[in-house]
Amino acid sequence: MWLEAQRAFQSTVVGTNDTIAPHVRAAYGPLANRIAVYRNTVQQSLIDVLATAFPAVQRIVGARFFAALARDFVRTRLPDVPQLSVYGVHFADFIASHEHIRDLPYLADVARLEWARGEAYFAADAPVFDPAVLATLEPEQLASLKLKLHPATRLIASRYPIHRIWAVNQPDVTEVPAIDMSIAENVLVSRPAYDVIIRFVPSADATFVQAFSQGRSLGEAAAEAMGSHPEFDLQTALQNHFIHGTFASMAAA
Amino acid sequence: MSELNLKAFAAAVAGAVAVASFAAPSFAQGMGGDTKGKEKCYGVSKAGENQCAAANGAHSCQAQSKVDMDGNEWKYVEAGSCAKMGGKTQAFQGKGMMPEKKGG
Repeated sequence: MWLEAQRAFQSTVVGTNDTIAPHVRAAYGPLANRIAVYRNTVQQSLIDVLATAFPAVQRIVGARFFAALARDFVRTRLPDVPQLSVYGVHFADFIASHEHIRDLPYLADVARLEWARGEAYFAADAPVFDPAVLATLEPEQLASLKLKLHPATRLIASRYPIHRIWAVNQPDVTEVPAIDMSIAENVLVSRPAYDVIIRFVPSADATFVQAFSQGRSLGEAAAEAMGSHPEFDLQTALQNHFIHGTFASMAAA
Repeated sequence: MSELNLKAFAAAVAGAVAVASFAAPSFAQGMGGDTKGKEKCYGVSKAGENQCAAANGAHSCQAQSKVDMDGNEWKYVEAGSCAKMGGKTQAFQGKGMMPEKKGG
């Protein structure tokens, strides 16, 4: 009986029904109002969590559309764990499959970027790789060196210009320019200290970074990037990775 | 490794190390340095605020109108910035419920 009441309450609070009705005493005013208190607390709180985690997505579609989208998501998905900072991990996939978003095929990737930003923020703190140790190595040793990606590092590859879309939808941007949606962009997220860094990387560099996630050595990763992208600029890519903390300290491994 | 010119490779790595060391890089700061005075904030406190106002049941929640919207808001996508950016991509034009902005 108690379990049944709890299930009815849950169904009512996350949905639009009133299956809780038989379990409620009538003495305290209109049932619809009383249900709304709980429903609103649960649903609006979760909608606000999504709005906090996906500000650029919200700005792209507008607050009202976003609220409708988020409410749809909330009604199909309760939090997996009691931790608001991880609520929304499935939101990008939800956007990708949503019938009202088909006109905005880039939106799911913008959501992935914003989620990666949140993941990087909450990722384990770890010291970043200090490139000074490389100065002592012979070329062969450099080539066979295995570098580990930092726990906060995330790569988002897209068929759309997601870095530009994301950048022009930041709060301080007042004039949103027109964007050529036919350009593909990759974004690399890292967090060397406490501030999340979001930057565009050329596709050659994306291949380079991806190689490390597959366990390739520095030399193998460079060869892969050059093999598929002859224009790959290893020095520029590598110095940016060192500066922005793409790799984890070897000592920490 | 056969495609890799080891000499050029080593030179590029050395160049990157030199530039990165010169550029006040983040690895030199570790987890200290510029993080002074900053505090990592866990959770989403803003969203945890209880939205409910009246306990007497006379009215339920201040934000209830947001929740009570029905399907109509799907047409409000024009309120966002997507139309200004060029909105939808070529391949997807003409589908869905977006306001038509062809040629825009």
